[in-house]
Amino acid sequence: MRKFLALALALAIALGISSCSAENGGGYAFTLMGKKSDLVKSYMTAIFGLYEKTTGNKIKIISYEDSEYETRAAADFESGNAPDVFMHFHNAEIQRFHPEKNFYYLNNESWVNDLTDSAKAYCQDGDGNLLGLPFWESSVSGCYYNKTILDGLGLKPATTQREFDTLCQVLADTGYTPICWPADGCTWILQFGLDPIFADDPEMLEKINSNEISYSDIPEVADMFGWIAGAAEKGWLGNGYLETGWDDISPAMSSGSAVMTFIWDTWFYTDFKPGKYTIDDFALMPVFLNTVENGTYEGGNLNMMTVNKNSERLEEALGFLEFCADPENYNLAFDGISTVSCFNRQTTNIQSKMVTDARESIAECERVSTAASRIIGYSADDANAALVELLRKKNDVAGCVKQLDEKRLAEIQKESD
Amino acid sequence: MKKWSERILLSLLIVLVAAAIVLIGAFYFRLISDRIFEDSTGHLSEIYGQVNRSFGAFVERNWGFLKSWDSCFALSENADADVESEAEFIALEKKNWGFSDFYFISADGKCMTPDGTEYGFDLSEELEKLMSGESIISGETLPSGREVTVFAVPVNNNLYGGFEFQAIAVSYTNDDLAASLNVDAFSGKAKCFVIKSDGTVLLSTQTGGNVFENYLTYLRAASDLDESGLSKLKSDWESGLSAVTRCKIGEVEHCILYQPVGYQDLILLSAVPESAVSAGFLSVQKITMTVLIVIFLLAGATVLVIIVIQSNKRSKMTRTELQYRELMFDVLSNSVDDIFIMLDSNNDSVDYISPNLERLLGVPVEEARQDIRALEKCAVNFNVVIPRPELEAIPLNENRYWECEYMHQTTGERRWYRMTIYRMMIRDVGKYIVVMSDRTLEQQMNQKLQEALDAARSANEAKSNFLSNMSHDIRTPMNAIVGFSVLLEKDADKPEKVREYTRKITASSHHLLSLINDVLDMSKIESGKTSLNVDRFSLPELLEEIGIIIMPQAKAKNQEFSTRVNGAPPEQLIGDKLRLNQILINILSNAVKYTPEGGKISFAVCEISGAAPQFTKLRFTVSDNGIGMSEEFQKNIFAPFSREINSVTNRIQGTGLGMAITKNLVDLMGGIIELESAPGKGSKFTVELSFSLPEQETGDEWYRQKVSRMLVADDEEDICINIKSLMSGTGVEVSYVTDGLAAVDAAATAHLHGEDFNVILLDWKMPGADGVETARLIRTKVGHDVPILVLTSYDWSDIEDEARSAGINAFMSKPFFVSTFWQTIKPLFAGHAEPETENKPAGENVMNGRLFLVAEDNELNAEILAEMLDMEGAKCEIVQNGLEAVEAFTKSEPGKYDMILMDVQMPVMNGYDATRKIRTCGRPDAKTIPIAAMTANTFAEDVKNSMEAGMDGHLAKPIDMNAVRELVGKLLSKNNKPTEGD
Repeated sequence: MRKFLALALALAIALGISSCSAENGGGYAFTLMGKKSDLVKSYMTAIFGLYEKTTGNKIKIISYEDSEYETRAAADFESGNAPDVFMHFHNAEIQRFHPEKNFYYLNNESWVNDLTDSAKAYCQDGDGNLLGLPFWESSVSGCYYNKTILDGLGLKPATTQREFDTLCQVLADTGYTPICWPADGCTWILQFGLDPIFADDPEMLEKINSNEISYSDIPEVADMFGWIAGAAEKGWLGNGYLETGWDDISPAMSSGSAVMTFIWDTWFYTDFKPGKYTIDDFALMPVFLNTVENGTYEGGNLNMMTVNKNSERLEEALGFLEFCADPENYNLAFDGISTVSCFNRQTTNIQSKMVTDARESIAECERVSTAASRIIGYSADDANAALVELLRKKNDVAGCVKQLDEKRLAEIQKESD
Repeated sequence: MKKWSERILLSLLIVLVAAAIVLIGAFYFRLISDRIFEDSTGHLSEIYGQVNRSFGAFVERNWGFLKSWDSCFALSENADADVESEAEFIALEKKNWGFSDFYFISADGKCMTPDGTEYGFDLSEELEKLMSGESIISGETLPSGREVTVFAVPVNNNLYGGFEFQAIAVSYTNDDLAASLNVDAFSGKAKCFVIKSDGTVLLSTQTGGNVFENYLTYLRAASDLDESGLSKLKSDWESGLSAVTRCKIGEVEHCILYQPVGYQDLILLSAVPESAVSAGFLSVQKITMTVLIVIFLLAGATVLVIIVIQSNKRSKMTRTELQYRELMFDVLSNSVDDIFIMLDSNNDSVDYISPNLERLLGVPVEEARQDIRALEKCAVNFNVVIPRPELEAIPLNENRYWECEYMHQTTGERRWYRMTIYRMMIRDVGKYIVVMSDRTLEQQMNQKLQEALDAARSANEAKSNFLSNMSHDIRTPMNAIVGFSVLLEKDADKPEKVREYTRKITASSHHLLSLINDVLDMSKIESGKTSLNVDRFSLPELLEEIGIIIMPQAKAKNQEFSTRVNGAPPEQLIGDKLRLNQILINILSNAVKYTPEGGKISFAVCEISGAAPQFTKLRFTVSDNGIGMSEEFQKNIFAPFSREINSVTNRIQGTGLGMAITKNLVDLMGGIIELESAPGKGSKFTVELSFSLPEQETGDEWYRQKVSRMLVADDEEDICINIKSLMSGTGVEVSYVTDGLAAVDAAATAHLHGEDFNVILLDWKMPGADGVETARLIRTKVGHDVPILVLTSYDWSDIEDEARSAGINAFMSKPFFVSTFWQTIKPLFAGHAEPETENKPAGENVMNGRLFLVAEDNELNAEILAEMLDMEGAKCEIVQNGLEAVEAFTKSEPGKYDMILMDVQMPVMNGYDATRKIRTCGRPDAKTIPIAAMTANTFAEDVKNSMEAGMDGHLAKPIDMNAVRELVGKLLSKNNKPTEGD
């Protein structure tokens, strides 16, 4: 019933967006700018429609094509045509919109405490200022392991890096491939290891973004690459990891030939094809990449709604955010959506049992996705390319890190050009 | 076969020895391994027994300390003061002991740290034991997630900060505890756990944390232990037994050792890879095994080296032997004319080819080695590579052969080979061994034999033909003789008939005699008894004599016969005139015989170059336009008894021996005879012979002074030029004209100028005015002072009278010779009017009135001779042998006998001895009386013997009265000359 209601709302609001995004001649409470593809998400259209229906206010939606969004939005900000509500991911790109000058800090809003820690952390700047309201679907990236196999072996999941190493070795000794490591083009894993370094130390993030330091100056970066190379040497990554790609992960995990992999929970709903083992056989523990002893989870990248503090319709904008943060409203909008909760009282969304079971560990170890989104010049492809060179023994650890630095600087140069 | 059996046996022996060594090694290795394992597990048990005892001591110590603290937490009224002091105490002890935390435990299992923090330990069953007064050990996970091991002892009821507790405990983090229990042995590969009897892992001594929840579960999943093994483990653990068991975890063999800790149901379990357990021992084992293996390898290597050396030695010897054999074979094959080739039957590649190939066939060995088809170019009328189907059709280990003819690529020499091809398998590879046996000599011999056989057949055939002919030829004249003799008897009273019959009998007899002479001559030549009678002779005389013989024959057939001398050959020669005469007469007679009537026969002589000093070489050429000879017959013309058989020759009598005799005589004289002929076009025989030259004679040449100019008239200008050339060395100026009238004019003109020619030489037969007419005309112009001679090839006897009346002084036979010329004119200038008395062919009968002494043992022959002499008007006295002849002569008056006719073969004394006796008897006429041999021995040797015996002439039997008359005339006129000269 709730799903049906949400769907009806979505349809109704989608019609509303159409009218909003068109040149309307009527009055509106505020303007909202977002990527075209983002704005048509069902939960977004649902909340827009719900707001307009509930308050009678109209939202003027300004949408740009994805490819030109950053450019045109920045132009609007610079030309004094900034929207009242501006949707953006908290990544390195957000700096071009000068949050300190244009964004209203939402630290004292009534709904702040309802945010999950990870969601709140994601939306905060380095000074702890809450830049926006996270209103997005999300997932938890971590080490998803075959609980059935581990139980069958009388083993328990690792809670520390050392236990993880022990676990890998025991599994390898027993004949299993401990970790399915898709080195061929699957670039997301390294950022899991880097996240804690920079998420736990915002100052370091600032330094690397200001190029005061490089990866080579951060021992944990070398530790991570060294550990991966060692894991490969010890057989923890199995055979053929250099040729293992995205499509190989599901067969490896569903067959049980590999016991663990570093992925996110929604992968199990989108790409995992059950085999000998189904989703119920899997559980979640932190990713251990030798950068933090207790491991880490990467929180999702969240699209957040920021408020233009210079807006004449500041109150309407803040009122819209408050509407969105209302448990009743967001539960309506996210009804049936498979996502990790952003709000503590979010209940209608679908969260995997794996995440639910590991919520305490997630709460303790989760980091905001930092490396990929907030390190200027970070390229997951470059990072993986450097790792592959290392794994192919064409480079050593120091060389690998140096290569990563060079690639990053080149990327920055390229962007500045 | 035997060798292979030995090899198989040797191989089997080596395999058996190797297998035995391996088995012994394996047994030894197993024995050592078991022993090492026992020692290793003992070592393992000892080590972990020590660990167990240490852990037990650690437990006891903790429990002991805790129990000793019981009194320290006595209930006090001043609770706050107590808490403070107790906390200080605990902090102090914590520092001393090293435990991580201290706990007060209530009866319901709650616990509180000295700082007041409360936990909820999950002691479960252990709590009951604790509360019942037992000290316990328990593994717990703190809210922080850290795993600890709790040592707790029951104490009296007490309060701490208001918290009522019945037990106190200390905890150690498992990491700390593991570090204290960790064993450095086994290369850090040992895992050590404190587990409960159900397998639950209470504590892991591993650094890095414990990931095992239940080790029994782990072993069930990860090891190769089956359920019974696992049950035994569980049973042992529950029973508190110690043991060591082996199992494979993953792919690694492990030793699982378990010992009861002695408290509760705790078990100290260690899992160590066997390789780590036995590492030390294994190293000894490895060294031992290595040493053994090295020893075995060294021994094996030594044996192998010895085998290899021996093998190499044998191989080297074999190679050397092979090289030696190959070298020897090369040398051998080089010294023979056989070629040896070995081919691979699969691809025709050459394995071996004997080096004499190039010598024998002119094909470089290397070229043939690269492609055997190189021999194809040598092949004559066949392909050297026998078609493969034929090769493949040769059964294994058998052979086939082909006769082949090859041509040497350089010299073009033909050679015949028998190519024998053997097909065989050599080490499972098909081979063709080709032996090309040289059959050239055999072939040539066969050819010669075949030729000889053909020749023999031909000769035999010829001889058969000859016999047939002889039978015919002999019977024919004999038939005539017998027949006409019968008729003679019948018609004895008819003089005309008698004359006719006797003439025919005579002709037949002459023919028969000629036949017999030829046969005997040939027989003599073939038996090698012929020798040359070399003496000085005159070439002009020879030619004249030949002309005398041939000219009548040619005339009889109305043939034109001419003799020409080209150049100026020496006129005096040393050689066998008789044989030369025979050669030329034979050839010329054949020319006359096989040239139809009206044909032409030319006889030419010239000197050719190439003779050594004091020698000359003459070429005699006889050409005719007769029937000629087939090419086939020309090959056999010089073979005895050969006559070409055709319609013409069949009608011509002949023995078929003439040319064979001729050829043999030419060969005997070191000359050559050649023939060119074509049927219907005539023949041309060329004979080249060498003669010695005699020393120049000096004599009375006064008459030469009287001749300084001469005129020659001949319609053949060549003859004129030739005469001029011949006379150029004599100082005589020769003018010539080519017809009679011109000669007349020339003579007249010279006469008018008072410069008469000293001699005029006229050809007899010239167009227009002939020689006689020309002479008559000349005489009318110049008178009779100038000698006129007629030069002719013809018999001038018929015209002699007319010629002399026409003013011709003398005759000369062609060809013109300077010496003949001088001899002819000499009498003319000396005033002699009868220069040709000796040769006068007819006239007075020299036999008439002569008395002959005849020595003849055959009465019949003696009677015939007597009758024949009587017919000639001569008388004779006949004696029976040589001795009687000698006696008759010596007893007779000198001059009684005009001549002695002496048979040669006679009883008592032969003719030769008798002649010698007569010549040496001392009588005045003994040396001068003419003695002529009268014998059936007609060969040149016989003539020579007769002359050497002192005879003056030689008459062949049967007696030809013409020959007798001629000889008598010659000898008696010669003998009478001094008398006449007087």
